[in-house]
Amino acid sequence: MSRKLSALALALGILVGAMELKTLVTAHSHGVVIMANGVSPMPKLPPPTK
Amino acid sequence: MGAGVCFVTCSVIRASFLRYFFLNLYVILSLFADLIRQAVLRFYALDSPQYVYAYYYTDCLLTIALFVAVISLASRVFAELNIARYVRFVAVLLLLGTAGFTYAVVVQSTERLGTRFAVELSQNLYFVGLVLTYLLWGAVLKLQETRTRLVQMVLSLGLYFSAYAGSYALINLAPKYEVDVQYLVPVLGCFLPVSWALSIMRHSEDSRLTPARLVAVPR
Repeated sequence: MSRKLSALALALGILVGAMELKTLVTAHSHGVVIMANGVSPMPKLPPPTK
Repeated sequence: MGAGVCFVTCSVIRASFLRYFFLNLYVILSLFADLIRQAVLRFYALDSPQYVYAYYYTDCLLTIALFVAVISLASRVFAELNIARYVRFVAVLLLLGTAGFTYAVVVQSTERLGTRFAVELSQNLYFVGLVLTYLLWGAVLKLQETRTRLVQMVLSLGLYFSAYAGSYALINLAPKYEVDVQYLVPVLGCFLPVSWALSIMRHSEDSRLTPARLVAVPR
């Protein structure tokens, strides 16, 4: 049981850390995205609509 | 594309295809994704909705495949501790947690849910992969892992994710470098298959690194 709880805590910790890192990196974002899978040219993403 | 074919061929020739199945699966899916994108690009323009959908949805699938590849390496590193079951549990929790978090963010901000969800999930998984790879590297050092191939593959992933995060930070902090970074992205896409292929070609499964070379020597 304690191992499962530890695994849950680890997963939550990783998720929180990753999202904080993303927030830090994209703090001054102007909507540009980067994808790094494959070698095909990346299209511009349409702006989000409210 | 050639690097991907080279990696899969070397894996098959050196009888490592099944041992590194999820890495091979990622590279094969990457090859198929590039073929699909090129096929779509032949009939539609770069900014057409068809190519945008094809590009971002295949990218999302590839990122999930890369996440599974990282988890498969983690399972191999932790195999001797008999906690593979918990590694899989953490992986499922992370994937579901990231998907849930992404949905919660995207559903409030846009009507174009499908594409935005695919893009955001992909980007969030990149950062989860980055944190996971650094933790894995810490485990490699702590457990004094000596299998050369495994160590080099984890290092390649660390470099790849770090370069991705660095590019992201650069493009957001200094938008004037946006064009340069856009040229860097395909190079990043080639990096993983090239480094993995080199690792498979140059080292056998029995190759070992001395742990002393992995850590800094205290002065």
